[in-house]
Amino acid sequence: MLKVWGRNNSGNVQKTMWCIGELGLEYERVDVGGPFGGLDTPEYKAMNPNSRVPTVEDDGNILWESHSVIRYLALKYGKGTLCPDDLGKRQLADRWMDWLHNGFNHHYRTLFFALVRDREKAEPDMEAMAALATECGADLPILDGHLANNEWVAGAEFTMGDIPIGCIVNRWYSLPIERASHPAIEAWLERVRARPAFREHVLLETG
Amino acid sequence: MLKVWGRKNSINVQKVMWCVGELGLEHERIDAGLEYGVINDASFRELNPNGLVPTIEDNGSIVWESHAIVRYLSAVYGSGSLWPENPMMRSLADRWMDWLYTYFFISHRVVFWGLIRTPEAERDMDAIKVQIEEGRNRLKVLNAQLEGKSFVAGESLTIGDIPMGCMTHRWFTMDIDRPSLPNVEAWLARLRERPAFVEHVSSIPLS
Repeated sequence: MLKVWGRNNSGNVQKTMWCIGELGLEYERVDVGGPFGGLDTPEYKAMNPNSRVPTVEDDGNILWESHSVIRYLALKYGKGTLCPDDLGKRQLADRWMDWLHNGFNHHYRTLFFALVRDREKAEPDMEAMAALATECGADLPILDGHLANNEWVAGAEFTMGDIPIGCIVNRWYSLPIERASHPAIEAWLERVRARPAFREHVLLETG
Repeated sequence: MLKVWGRKNSINVQKVMWCVGELGLEHERIDAGLEYGVINDASFRELNPNGLVPTIEDNGSIVWESHAIVRYLSAVYGSGSLWPENPMMRSLADRWMDWLYTYFFISHRVVFWGLIRTPEAERDMDAIKVQIEEGRNRLKVLNAQLEGKSFVAGESLTIGDIPMGCMTHRWFTMDIDRPSLPNVEAWLARLRERPAFVEHVSSIPLS
């Protein structure tokens, strides 16, 4: 049985759990990270030298890096569904996993830490946060334009490409900041939020 | 024939060109980006709405995001070599493509843009020093993981070596303090012996 190490309110754990839920895989999840600790033990570091969550074990294989875990699970258990069989179609999903890493995620992460995770430690500089939010949001018209013509990021079907970006853009919409409206993204998020596996694993308290 | 848009001194273009070289694919490269322009042309934005290089066309498929391109080309043309067929072996390679974004990307970007693309008088040396330290600490993880291995996923070159190889080559070419990382240095020396790496990456001065 699949084993997942990671607290359920981590964005990267949620990406993985949502994928597992979509695939209908049996699993056991172990709380580590954040208030649960457990990431700096020699046993954990032997599995994942980065001391981060999630870490996944499948058939004795240890996996880390959430997007890489999703690609592994989708190709092994969801070929033809989450992971399109045709390589030309697969890259239409895959590109959005990198797109998130390459731009949006870096600004989002800074905002999320300042506005949510570290809020009790230090009052955020809201002027700086507003400027950063503008910069972060500058990438979204590309996604909005794309989703205006596509039901899911890779076209007519839900794929692995929707997972990381669905988790993080959903969080973006819950940050206490002003945002421009992007109708196609908002309509896609409604479709994302209607999925049972998303409701179960992602629509939780964030931290 | 494979078509690649992108100037040859862009690191993201270099990842793709090195991959194209390893796979021995016939191709045509079109200079685009920075002084060459092209990326803001309406016809280019049709191909890649982000207006970024590299972008490729292969058999009518348009692919963008450099890591997605490397995965696509390797899956189509390098199954069993650059693209390990065994899912776990592939995951051992694939994780380093995401690891780059999660842990090393920001450090490299701040240091590279600061030292290579910013005039000396305008450099933010404090920010650069912080990221030299951060990058150095992250590379220790790679160094430990390369123990006993010739390449990041084992005994042969895979997709996992390509982005990290390009970025680590740059890191070790810049005039910065570095602790000795013997496994990383030995791995880089192996990469620098590969004709495709020399042609598309290491023979091109940083600019």
